Amino acid sequence: MTEAEGRVRTSAGIGLRSPHVAEVMATRPAVAFLEVHAENYMGGGPALAALDRLRHDYPLSLHGVGLSLGGADALDARHLARFKRLVDRVEPELVSEHLAWSVAEGAYFNHLLPLPYDEASLDAVCGRVARVQEALGRAILLENPSRYLRFAHSPIPEPEFLAELAHRTGCGLLLDVNNVYVTCRNFDEDPEAYLDALEVAGIGEIHLAGHAENEADGRRILIDDHGSAVADPVWRLYTRALERFGPVPTLVEWDTRLPALAVLLDEAAKARRLLEAAGRRERDAVAA
Amino acid sequence: MPSLRDLERDVARALLGEADGAVLASILGDGLSPAARLGVYRNHVFSTLTDALEATYPVVCRLVDPRFFAYAVDRYIRACPPAGPCLFEYGESLPEFLAAFPPCRHLQYLPDVARLEWAINRALHAEDAEPLDPTRLRGLSPDGAARLALRLHPSASFLESRWPVDRVWRANQPGADPDGIVDLDAGGVRLEVRRLGDDVVFRSLAAATYAFRSALAAGGDLERAVEAAQAAGPEFDLTQTLRELLDDGLVVGSSAPRSRMGATDAN
Repeated sequence: MTEAEGRVRTSAGIGLRSPHVAEVMATRPAVAFLEVHAENYMGGGPALAALDRLRHDYPLSLHGVGLSLGGADALDARHLARFKRLVDRVEPELVSEHLAWSVAEGAYFNHLLPLPYDEASLDAVCGRVARVQEALGRAILLENPSRYLRFAHSPIPEPEFLAELAHRTGCGLLLDVNNVYVTCRNFDEDPEAYLDALEVAGIGEIHLAGHAENEADGRRILIDDHGSAVADPVWRLYTRALERFGPVPTLVEWDTRLPALAVLLDEAAKARRLLEAAGRRERDAVAA
Repeated sequence: MPSLRDLERDVARALLGEADGAVLASILGDGLSPAARLGVYRNHVFSTLTDALEATYPVVCRLVDPRFFAYAVDRYIRACPPAGPCLFEYGESLPEFLAAFPPCRHLQYLPDVARLEWAINRALHAEDAEPLDPTRLRGLSPDGAARLALRLHPSASFLESRWPVDRVWRANQPGADPDGIVDLDAGGVRLEVRRLGDDVVFRSLAAATYAFRSALAAGGDLERAVEAAQAAGPEFDLTQTLRELLDDGLVVGSSAPRSRMGATDAN
């Protein structure tokens, strides 16, 4: 591993949201990369112009939320073409999407909806991921979703489903540690066992974010609202993930109740310190 | 066991509808009712879409009160869910929905305020396009010029209202005089909305200029735009009006006169 590769792997970025764009443009904070939602940049005007400028100073990660790769309806060819046009234009280092669906019968929900994990849906998602990778001419990363329900028929555990998907399509994984925590807590599963079930190779990026704790019918349910600082148990799970997967480029996301940019940057700095520690451990292990 | 397609269709219908129906049988309770679990997703979907519509229609939201706005757009989302994944493109038909929505039918100016907000949103996000070099229009025969179609900037749109919706909009901006009063009987407006640099701007146009530009925006050729302008105002000067349009940087392309061979694109 060269020194430059080491720096990239031990780097932390932030999810860039429109209220922060002007400040990021003006102050150029020291973050390793910026991630944006692809669907917010599919028009023109000042949003795209800002991205065109920022991409010269920061590596970009393009995070899709609308390709509905877990959907049974035909892939939206127009949307895929716009996605490709944006990828070609801003040349991101990373391109990612979700293991989820968001459209049925022509109605878009703009939300990441869950799918049952069985052989039929594995075939369907593999076909779509392959088509997207072929259209884009590159591999994408697929993110594990946060989930609030399970289907009665869903025989394949999520980490196995993701591992098989990566194996069949060559896609990488975007491991959202907060989503692992939220999903596992919501179904009384062990988040560390989830990490252990993932293959070490192929984790191309990690996401961190805050979640909320709600109550429904007297039962606590965690909601992945990206509306607060990363919770302590999620930081601990992140540390555990770094021990297992080594340093992986990490992004801190914050979407609702967006704080001052400085607060988000502090969260990224915290991730960077943990990444650097993981990098040192890895080097010591190699040297020993 | 339903197929993936049937399952997703049933979830989708349950999210938009009042009743959860057959899909509940496919969902595990895991200590809750399946309906409560589906409800978590429904809440997310509706709050995301409501926030998006509120961001696009802040003045409408302010005029009707946020709680009524949330109620109205809840009905709207069920009737007209997004047709694409880009939130900035959602909500084009809200003005028509509000015009036909019984609880706010008495607010007759409201749909036109909504149309202005949609035009502003559209202008902000429209594709970029370079203004046409005017020298490309030189040397056209008068007959050829008459059948020339000019393509206007994608951000440009035109809005006519019998209400002073521009004043209503300005009076409801952050920092506007809270005691400001808009006289709704002050007369109507003909507005041009567009992007200028990074900003969206709108201004009111004279009747003939409005008729001319909006006819072009609707895809009419120059001859039709001139006819519309002359019908709107007798003192219409084509040369000057055309020069102003080009100087405003609003023309981004032109289609040469149609021949039997079909139109050719000059830009």
